[in-house]
Amino acid sequence: MIDPRDRLDYMDNLSYHLHPLVRGRNESFGLLFYNTRDTKLTFVRCGNLLRIGPAAGGISMLEFHCGREAERGMVRRVLQGLTQKGLIVETGVSP
Amino acid sequence: MRQEFLHRTKLKAPVNVTWEVTARCNLHCRHCLSADIGEFSEAELGFEECRALLDTLKQMEVFQVNFGGGEPFMRGDFLDLLRYAHEQGITTCVSTNGTLLTDAIVSKLREMDLLYLQVSLDGATASTNDVMRGPGTHGRIIEAVTLLHRHCVPHVSINTVVTRANFREIGDLHVLSTRLGAKTRFSRFRPSGNGKKTWDELRLDGLQLAELSRFLSAHPDIVTGDSFFSITAFDRRELGLNMCGAARMTCSVLPDGGVYPCAFLHDRRFLAGKVLTESLQSIWDNAPVFELLRNIRVDACGSCWRFSICHGGCPAVAYFLTDALDRPDPECVASFRRALQSAPAADQAYQSP
Repeated sequence: MIDPRDRLDYMDNLSYHLHPLVRGRNESFGLLFYNTRDTKLTFVRCGNLLRIGPAAGGISMLEFHCGREAERGMVRRVLQGLTQKGLIVETGVSP
Repeated sequence: MRQEFLHRTKLKAPVNVTWEVTARCNLHCRHCLSADIGEFSEAELGFEECRALLDTLKQMEVFQVNFGGGEPFMRGDFLDLLRYAHEQGITTCVSTNGTLLTDAIVSKLREMDLLYLQVSLDGATASTNDVMRGPGTHGRIIEAVTLLHRHCVPHVSINTVVTRANFREIGDLHVLSTRLGAKTRFSRFRPSGNGKKTWDELRLDGLQLAELSRFLSAHPDIVTGDSFFSITAFDRRELGLNMCGAARMTCSVLPDGGVYPCAFLHDRRFLAGKVLTESLQSIWDNAPVFELLRNIRVDACGSCWRFSICHGGCPAVAYFLTDALDRPDPECVASFRRALQSAPAADQAYQSP
């Protein structure tokens, strides 16, 4: 289990949510995405560093659980890839 | 490899569920893999029971339901079922013979953004198709696909079970699908249902399987939905699964709510439970037959050059042909590699002059 105190809601002053046409779920290995636009799956082996939060108002936010810089670097790369694939959407947050 | 870890990881729920919502059908296709499901699934879940199952699938975070049958449009409530699934955020993929599609039905399908539709056609010509699916069906199927195209229904594909009867027309089928605004989808002929009776007559031989592998490599736009990985060439390995998904990624529900590891293992021996008496989550987590499928290791294939892209192939085909799940897929391309190397170049052999 992850200590809720380790949870971060944003990364580099950015937050991320699933694209409205994308479904995703938490799995033991990390995240599993399903793109309704083409029915393709994307497996992300990130363990618990990145989790999909409960949907609120139809939007599921990503939650980060990475403290060390190495972990944050890995998560940044994952986020970049998922954004490029159109699976997640980047939004700014107020500092 | 990409999905290698799935061999060691159990997903918390299926990614998709294949649901044969009825055993009733208005056609009697010679190769139908579901032709005998009515023998051990006589009852049909009622609408409220279907809704309850869809609620469960939503709760389990299942992404996609593949509706089939029988012919799903034989159910009077099928459009309502589709609508309810979409309301739960579940994508649906419907396999239909197309002959019951009317203007009124298609105009409703047009409004469904989460719908993928596969219309079955087993020959580019009426003479080839109608031998398989029945007299007059070719024209009715073409009419259905034309109707779907006219209504701008997105995500339509023409699905062909590739057999010895239509093998020489696969190029023409691809051209025809494209002309009708549909994707081309090829399915594997399997020795189940009516396919048990017609297997020797209709199965592809080694050379044809090798040629098919080459043809698919030359046409990456062609979709192959189910376990073609026994003949998948390396250049198509990113286009689909590289192992059997039964009880790992998928499971199958029959009209009466019986749950099986996949749509090709509808045999009493593989009944994992029934959704009317046990939750699908519990069946997924605990059914011994699902554990059996998850633990299959095709040892004879372990040192094969193709193992990373097929993991032994389809256990269902192995089971129906050899009576064992853990034997190599008898249609594996590795067993006729030489034929693959000498097969005609793609595109030359599959279109009419």
